[in-house]
Amino acid sequence: MQPKDLYGRQLLLTAAELATLPADVQSRAGLTITASQIQCQRCGSTLDHRTAQLPQKQFYCYQCLNLGRVSSLTPLYHIPEPNEFPQRPKLTWTGHLTSAQAVCAADLQRAFAAHERHLLWAVTGAGKTEMLFPGLAWALQQGWRVAVASPRVDVCLELAPRLQAAFADTTVAVLHGRQTAAYAYRQLTVCTTHQLLRFRAAFDVLVIDEVDAFPFAANQQLYYAVDHAVKPHGAVLYLTATPSDALLRQTRRGQLKLSYLPLRFHQHLLPTIQVTLLPKWWSAIAKGRLPAKLRRWLGAYATSGQRFLIFVPRIDQLTVVQAAIQRQFPTMSGQTVYSADPDRLAKVQQMRQEQVQYLITTTILERGVTFPGIDVLVLGADDPVFSTAALVQIAGRVGRSQQRPTGLVRFVSGSYTRAIKQAQRQIKLVNRKGRRLRDDLSTVPTTAND
Amino acid sequence: MTCLLCQRPLTTKLTLPWLLSWQPVAQPVVCTACWQQFQPIILATACPQCGRAQPHWQVCRDCQRWAAQPDFQNVALFTYNEAMQAYFQHYKFQGDYRLRAVFQTIVQQRLQQLTADQVVTIPVTTATMATRGFNQVTGWLDTGINDGVLTVAKTVAQSQKDRQARLATKQPFGLAPGVDLSGQRIVLVDDVYTTGRTMRHAANLMLENGANSVTGLTLAR
Repeated sequence: MQPKDLYGRQLLLTAAELATLPADVQSRAGLTITASQIQCQRCGSTLDHRTAQLPQKQFYCYQCLNLGRVSSLTPLYHIPEPNEFPQRPKLTWTGHLTSAQAVCAADLQRAFAAHERHLLWAVTGAGKTEMLFPGLAWALQQGWRVAVASPRVDVCLELAPRLQAAFADTTVAVLHGRQTAAYAYRQLTVCTTHQLLRFRAAFDVLVIDEVDAFPFAANQQLYYAVDHAVKPHGAVLYLTATPSDALLRQTRRGQLKLSYLPLRFHQHLLPTIQVTLLPKWWSAIAKGRLPAKLRRWLGAYATSGQRFLIFVPRIDQLTVVQAAIQRQFPTMSGQTVYSADPDRLAKVQQMRQEQVQYLITTTILERGVTFPGIDVLVLGADDPVFSTAALVQIAGRVGRSQQRPTGLVRFVSGSYTRAIKQAQRQIKLVNRKGRRLRDDLSTVPTTAND
Repeated sequence: MTCLLCQRPLTTKLTLPWLLSWQPVAQPVVCTACWQQFQPIILATACPQCGRAQPHWQVCRDCQRWAAQPDFQNVALFTYNEAMQAYFQHYKFQGDYRLRAVFQTIVQQRLQQLTADQVVTIPVTTATMATRGFNQVTGWLDTGINDGVLTVAKTVAQSQKDRQARLATKQPFGLAPGVDLSGQRIVLVDDVYTTGRTMRHAANLMLENGANSVTGLTLAR
C-alpha cells in the first residue's frame, strides 16, 4: 500500500498493509465510548450499548458494516491531505454556456473561492453538470482536491465520463460499492455519497449532486460523511432540481447561499404532467390485459418506435407489467430494471445505446439519467413511494435534448394525491419563472451577450 | 423491529392457538422469507456419522473414507447452501455479532437434546479473537469467548484451503492446562462440518485424553 492511498482517507488496515506504510501514519479510535453513549467515528451513528456489544467489553459499529467493521479492537488510519498534484489540469470542454447558465456558473466559482456552502437549484435538464465546469476548472487550477458525489450509483456512472471528457488531461477516479477497480489518488473524484465515509478532511471542494435523492435525504450518516470528507474550511455545493424544505429553510436562514435557474439549457419549458384517472389499472394488468387508454398509447409507440420509460411503484409489479405489454405488443423490445437487479448497470446502458425501446423501472431511474428524446409513463402515480420530488424528477426525464425538447409525461393514477398536485404546481411555478427569464433574455440586446 | 438479514420490517401475527397457549411473545429476529432460505437437515435420513443431508439413510462416501479413524458422530442442523454462506459471510467474516441471534435458539435447543457431561466448542485463534472480537460458535451459546477447554495454535484458516490441503492439516489443538476429561461424555460444537478434519482432530485429542465419547454438533454441513 502506498502512503498516497491514505491521503485524506480514514481506513481500517490489516497488519500487513500497515507494515508497508511510514511510521507517522495517524491513527485514532474507531469508536468513542463513554458511559452514556457510543459513537462511530466513521459514520457518526450513535450506537445502542447492548446491540453494539462484543464479548469482553468491546464494541463495534453495526451501521456502516458494509465498508468493513469499525470496532474498539482496531483503529482508523489517516494521513492528512497534502494536495500532492504536480499537474494542474485545464478545462478541455469546448461547449458554450447560455447567458443564464453563465451567471450561475460564475456564482458557483465565487462560492468555491469563498469556501462557502452553496445550493444550486436548477430545473431538471438545466445543464447542471456544465455549469460546474468553470468552477471546477478554477479549483483544479488552484491545486485543490475536488469530489463530485451523488447518492445514486447511476448518476455517478453518468457523471464520470462527462467529467473525464471535460478534463481530458487528468484521470477521474470513480468510486462506488459495485466496482472492482482499486482506489487511486486523484485530484478529481466521482463517487457515491457512501464512499465519502472513507474520507476525512480530504476535499477543498465537494459537490453533492441530487442531494434530495434517496438514500441521502434524511440520512444523518451521509450528512456526517459530507461534513467530515470536506476540509474544515472547504466549500460544499449542493445540486438539485427539487430541494427539500430543510435545504430551503437553511437558505432562508442564510446558512446556505442559493443560485436559482428555472430554465432548461435549450430554453424550452418543462413538459407538463397529464394525469389520467384509471383506478383499476392494476387489476386489469394483473390479469394480463392493458386498459384501453394504455393500449392506445403503447400502440402509437409500437408504430412510431418512440422510446419511453414506464415507472411502477413496486418491484414485484415490473414483470407483470412487462408480461402484459409483451402479450399485446410482442414486437416492442423492453427490459425491467430495479435496484438490486444484478444486470442493472448493463440494462441502463442498453437503453442509453438505444438497443431497447423501453424500460420498466421503479424510482431508481427517477433522476440523474438522460435518455434523449423519451416519453414517460407513470403507473400508479398515487402510490406513496412517489413523493412530490420523485414525480417532478420523473417528469424531468422528458424533453432533455435539443432535438426533441418536448415530450409526453403521462401519469396513470387512482386519484389526484397531494404529491401529484404539488408536482404539477411546482412545474407550473418553475415554468412561469422560466418564461419570465426567457422573455428577459430575449429583450436583452444581443451585443450584451458577447 | 427489522429482520436481521434483510432489514425489512418484521411483523408478528397473533394467531388464536398461540393466544390460547399462554406462551410468552416469541420475538422473531428474522423474517419468514429469510428463514425459509435455510434448509434444515432431516435427521432420519442424514448420514449417521457426519450429519449430511441425503435422500436415504446410509453412511456417506466421505465418511466411509474416514473408516480407519476412531468412532465419531456429528449432528448437523442445516445444509450449507447459499443462504448459509451469506450468513457466515456477514456473521463471521464481516463480524456482525448481532447475527448470533439468528441461530441462538435452535442451537441451544438441539444442544439440550444431546446428553453431555461437558459442552466443548472449537476455539478461534488468538489472532482471530483480536480482530473479530468473538468466537462465532460460543456466540450462539451466548458468551462469545473461547470457553477454555481447547487451545489452538496459529494456523491457516480451513476456509482458505481446498479439500486436499484441509485433510492434510496437522493437529492444531491442545488441551488447556488443568482440564480433566476422563470418563466424560463430550458434545463438541462447531460452525461448519466440511471435510470433518477439524472436528476429528479435536475429537481424537479428547478421546486420547480419556473422554468417554465425543458427539459433534454443527450448524451447517
